[in-house]
Amino acid sequence: MIDLQAVTIEYGDGQQAVRAVDNITFKLEQGRSLALIGPSGCGKTSILFALAGLLHPYSGTITIGGDRITGPRRDVALILQNAGLLPWKTVWQNANLSLLLNGDYPERNALQVLTHLGLESVKSRFPSELSEGMKRRVGIARALSTAPSVLLMDEPLASLDTLTREKIQDLFLTLWHERGFSLVLVTHNIEEAAFLGQEIIVLSERPAQIKTIVDNPEMGQLDYRDSAAFQAIMTRLREALEG
Amino acid sequence: MKRVLTYVFSVALLFFLWEMASIAVNAINHASLLPGPFDALSQVIKNAAELQRNFMASAWRLILAMLIALATATPIGLVLGREAKLDRFFAPIIYITYPIPQVALILFLFVVFGTGSGTKVAMVAFVLFFQILVSARGAAKNIDDEHVTSVLSAGASRLQVYYHVVLPASLPEILTSVRVSIGLGIAFLYIAETHAALGTGLGVFINKHMLFSRDRAFAGIVAMAILGLILYIVIDIIERMLCRWRYVKRRP
Repeated sequence: MIDLQAVTIEYGDGQQAVRAVDNITFKLEQGRSLALIGPSGCGKTSILFALAGLLHPYSGTITIGGDRITGPRRDVALILQNAGLLPWKTVWQNANLSLLLNGDYPERNALQVLTHLGLESVKSRFPSELSEGMKRRVGIARALSTAPSVLLMDEPLASLDTLTREKIQDLFLTLWHERGFSLVLVTHNIEEAAFLGQEIIVLSERPAQIKTIVDNPEMGQLDYRDSAAFQAIMTRLREALEG
Repeated sequence: MKRVLTYVFSVALLFFLWEMASIAVNAINHASLLPGPFDALSQVIKNAAELQRNFMASAWRLILAMLIALATATPIGLVLGREAKLDRFFAPIIYITYPIPQVALILFLFVVFGTGSGTKVAMVAFVLFFQILVSARGAAKNIDDEHVTSVLSAGASRLQVYYHVVLPASLPEILTSVRVSIGLGIAFLYIAETHAALGTGLGVFINKHMLFSRDRAFAGIVAMAILGLILYIVIDIIERMLCRWRYVKRRP
């Protein structure tokens, strides 16, 4: 379970400190999915980075599986906005980065994931040779190579065209069903939050505070976009963001 | 093949312009002041043994100086570029010492350390050190944060961030500064060798013949140009090997 208790995040010290996140509390059961939605620059990425152990809250506690987060963990993977691929490493080296860094993950994990995502034929290519959609797939392959129990995603589909975005959203959904990880998605895209979030937290302008939490129990099917429930959730989210 | 033809054409154009300049200068002065390219090349062949000895002396000094500068300036520049606290302390020192005309120190170094090869190498390395340091520091400062976040989230240590992100991301800029350093290094090596007056080196060879046997002196200048060209080609090959990702066909 992911558990945030009264988390406040600040940047800078003393009088120059800027508060990005203000007293956020929420829980997410293992295997469920959560979308954090809010205006650009509201502090939602800070929450995600704190979950990834990349920054420490000014106050409050964050635990995953009962353990307090003190730094990056091998069972928590992060997918960044532009997939975070290193241009000087091949697809294979990028997908296998955790093994390269830590030396304790079996190579077959990355190979299986690459094959599963249809990337085996391009594994010796560099990211600049790939389409945007393929780059995102490599980012996913890297994240899944460690078989994480929590997958964090920071606007993972920003700047993609609509069709590619929907294809990758479908892929996320399928992988989430198959692998049972907890999914935390940060986005400013209402449609993405409604499609991938079982729970959707709507955040205020900076410093981020929880405005409302929307339950989305009917999500989970690939054809959910065509349903009336999906449209209703989108309307609720739009109203919550505007309100 | 096309590349070779381009090189041949460039050299032919250079020789043509040089020959024209030689004819013009000599006609204006009614004397043989500026030898043409073919005079210089025939002297290269006639003085091959002496030139080779001096060429090798200059080449190893220059290469050694470049390696010393690269090995010291690269890590320091990268660390200063990434570690803000260290940079705040050392940046003023760099800003004060970088613009000093290092050539002004040549005589001082010769007086203190003698006129041997070591002093010449140290002089050139000192000049190139700043060139590479400033480039490496700038390159490390401009690294995309997403790349660093990406490896940190995958569990990288600080040292691994340098190895997997900072060094490869900065490498193209460092190699560009090495390329710029070739010209600078040759210029400073010439100055150091001519100041020493004795010993071996293309600078000594050129200086010795400049007054009374100018076509021989120009043979030495041609040899210096060849030294620069060889080093440029070597750096190009190294860049193609180490920065392969920059030479793949990019998807539009």
